[in-house]
Amino acid sequence: MVRCTSWRAGITTWLRIPGPLSLKLLIISLFPAPILAEETRGYVISMVHTATYYDEQTCPNGTNGSRPDVLIRRIMNDGYDQEEAVRIVSNLRFNGGRDDQGNLVGSAIVLGVGASFDGNQSWNGFDFNPANVPRVLQDPNAQNAQGRYAIGLNLDGKVGPNSWEHPITGETGIDNEMWRVLGCWDVYYVNKPINPYNEGIAWDTAVDAMPAWLISISGENLNQDGEVTVTFDRALNIPLRDAYGSIMTGASFAIDPNPRSHNVFKGRISDRILTIEPGTFYMQGESQFYPHLQFTETQLRLELNEDGSLEGHIGGYQPWRDYYHYLSVRGETDGMIDLIGIYYDMKKYADAEPDLVTGENTAISAAYFIEGVPAFHLDDEGTLLANSVGPGPKFSGPAVSQYSNIGQ
Amino acid sequence: MKFKISSFIKAILGTAAIITITIPNIAIAAENSTNEQITFVRLTSEQHRNSIRDIFGESIIVDGDAGSVGVREEGLMAVGGRRLTLSASEVESYEVLALDIASQVLDPARRATLLTCLPEDASKVDDTCASEFIDRVGLHLFRRPLSNDEIDAYAAMAKTAAQNLGSFYSGLQAALVGMMVSPDFLFRIERSVPNPELPGTRRLDAWSRASRLSFFLWNTTPNPTLLEAARSGDLMFEAGLNRQIETMMLSPRIEDGLRAFFSDMLAFDRFKTLDIDSNLFPKFTKNVEDEAREQTLRTISHHLLNKEADYRELLNSRETFLTPALAALYSVPIPIHQELGGRVPWVPYEYSEDHMRIGLLGQATFLSLFSHPGASSPTLRGKAVREHLLCQTIPPPPGDVDFSLVRNADHPDFKTVRDRLAQHRDNPTCAGCHMLMDPIGLALEIFDASGVYRTTENGVEIDTGGEWVGQEYTDIRELAVLLKNDPTLTSCLVQRAYNYGTAREPTRAEVQWLNTMHLQLREEGVRWRELIKRISSNPDFYTVPEIVSTED
Repeated sequence: MVRCTSWRAGITTWLRIPGPLSLKLLIISLFPAPILAEETRGYVISMVHTATYYDEQTCPNGTNGSRPDVLIRRIMNDGYDQEEAVRIVSNLRFNGGRDDQGNLVGSAIVLGVGASFDGNQSWNGFDFNPANVPRVLQDPNAQNAQGRYAIGLNLDGKVGPNSWEHPITGETGIDNEMWRVLGCWDVYYVNKPINPYNEGIAWDTAVDAMPAWLISISGENLNQDGEVTVTFDRALNIPLRDAYGSIMTGASFAIDPNPRSHNVFKGRISDRILTIEPGTFYMQGESQFYPHLQFTETQLRLELNEDGSLEGHIGGYQPWRDYYHYLSVRGETDGMIDLIGIYYDMKKYADAEPDLVTGENTAISAAYFIEGVPAFHLDDEGTLLANSVGPGPKFSGPAVSQYSNIGQ
Repeated sequence: MKFKISSFIKAILGTAAIITITIPNIAIAAENSTNEQITFVRLTSEQHRNSIRDIFGESIIVDGDAGSVGVREEGLMAVGGRRLTLSASEVESYEVLALDIASQVLDPARRATLLTCLPEDASKVDDTCASEFIDRVGLHLFRRPLSNDEIDAYAAMAKTAAQNLGSFYSGLQAALVGMMVSPDFLFRIERSVPNPELPGTRRLDAWSRASRLSFFLWNTTPNPTLLEAARSGDLMFEAGLNRQIETMMLSPRIEDGLRAFFSDMLAFDRFKTLDIDSNLFPKFTKNVEDEAREQTLRTISHHLLNKEADYRELLNSRETFLTPALAALYSVPIPIHQELGGRVPWVPYEYSEDHMRIGLLGQATFLSLFSHPGASSPTLRGKAVREHLLCQTIPPPPGDVDFSLVRNADHPDFKTVRDRLAQHRDNPTCAGCHMLMDPIGLALEIFDASGVYRTTENGVEIDTGGEWVGQEYTDIRELAVLLKNDPTLTSCLVQRAYNYGTAREPTRAEVQWLNTMHLQLREEGVRWRELIKRISSNPDFYTVPEIVSTED
């Protein structure tokens, strides 16, 4: 039997499940950090997406537009004038992408279905999808994000020529070259509470089928500043939804005993802000968009909200091909971007982990918004490992966050 | 009351063959020329469904509910069932169901298992085979043997339809539909015979006894064993009757009977119109609502049947069963065991001694069923405890009462519903009844309309204290103990169980022996199996009270 004290004063819950270890002993045995954990709070991650922020300096020459703009530019690069390119794109649904002479303009159209599509695809007469071999197309030289501000974390501890300034905290030295690549595409040119549509819809779909991603925080007193241990785990079960489509708070999750997605960081709470000491991070997913999420030099900045939820950003150096895969597997139509442009820009702005042979950087600094709501964590034997504390927010996750301010 | 069957039969038999069935327009009983008293109790939707399942097999799909919700009398829908007739639209709905069921039953893949004879030519009439089918199936549908006239009538129906449609099986289908929309199937028709043990009184005949027993204990039609006991006359004798009861008590079907009784007693019919506002209570999804209902039934069933524990302990039991969604609603941790096939994994759970969520009153079923869509209601909850658990009657409010203050949750001066109700009780017209209801409900105010735990209302700490029959309590845990020890709780159960089985109020003489039995059970422990065994084995359970016509 495991005893755990609920967040409500004076109420203690007993879980009558055989378990040889007390909560404290279990925490000590699991976490090597020399922190005497008196309390462990659990969360289920309710939302993940690329961290976005824009202002008038971000894309001073305008954005790259969306899917039709990509197609028109690509057709014009093939030698058509703008008027005919617009006509070809306008008639795309009716003639499959043919010019005024009836010739198929395949190179412009085919990327929409994405790299995972294995049907009849051709590009300039060849049966293959250029999303899988993007270098066969020319760099479209897309607009990149500029200006002073970007969301992210100072991954290298330095302030360099490519560093950003955090628009909210004012912290300098922010490393986020991923934002430079993505920031001028319309789908990413959004501010909270709007999410990047392509990632929001991908997460919204995945969350009902993918084992949940969990965070727990252990420390002597989580209501005060101090050292803590932060653990990321994958669950064996998927999140529940409430009537809003938000992720249900107070739900129970069994932690996957497979250590592959078990990440432990030393952390600190200061003025309700949670940070960690850098380390590597790997979470396995079961999603088209997030088959996994991995960083080196991982950092974290999460705000612990009064309602028991947490939100903020996680970042690190991410293999840029991971993100290119996320986009290409869903195709240009879904991502509303130019895959070829993303490919070239990722290569161009990658800023870490050079390949030993070519010397090209294989990772790019990146930052993701994450949000977690209170949840119970148990092991696969039913022993309670982390408590759900607080009622959580009224809205969470992708389904409602875009509308959560309406009427308030 | 008269109604005509049926458009389908009319179509295949021709206009001249329309059958008009007459149900005696009686509320309680009718007498025929032989002084035989006949009573009608309409089957509930669940009993109709269970009967079809047990007669024709589990593979038959009953796609829908035909009957209306019904009316509650003496605290039970079962008693109200005696008042129910059938509207024309309900007959039509039953006919649509019957058509679908008959087509499944006589589907080429199934008919071989149900027919003991085969027609020489499937495109022609076969009176002998049709009569054999009608005789055999009719016994189970009508829960008594069919008379020769009845067999001939349905065989004639089958014959006409077979001739018109050129198919023996279509003829059987027509006859089967006719039987399934007959009052003999849709109603439990109880017939009486003179009682030789008490001359001048009447008691149920053997077939009616079989039905009463079966619907009381199993919530379904009598099985072949019980029908055979009726045919042999065993059910008319104490030893034979008790033998059947003992056998039935050992069946897992006893749980069906328990679930049906408590669904009725605890007013689960309110689920059909339950409308907790998910904008205000987003955790209360449709799935959670369904699981809450099942949680309550599982808890009761486990407590009363598996543990054979005392009914009173349901008020403060800490044991229950939870799903992941219910555990999230209650904000308690449960182990997660994935089950293959997407089944909802129910987990046994026990709250700690100091946890507030105890007993039936702490479950989302009770808390939501007796709340307003947008707010909890101490008054509705208190009234429900009084009426459904204690068999007390609270009169309805006068028509001119102003509820605006009570419902103004944003009132600047009266932030809690306790404050608002206190003001409301200043009206002497309201005070009497509210004093009976509100204190019980106020103890449950720590649970909102969806059953989520809370400690404050509008920022003010919720006071759950009150007084029950001169004894003070501070919270639901103490109130539950006081209710548990109140003899009204158990006398109500005994009375409701008896009324449920007989579908009527007890006579004065019956009340006396029920009181005696109640006192005995309180001494021995109020255990469900013992209660229904004593009720169903008592000769009074089968006595037919003398009916005084209300139409004179």
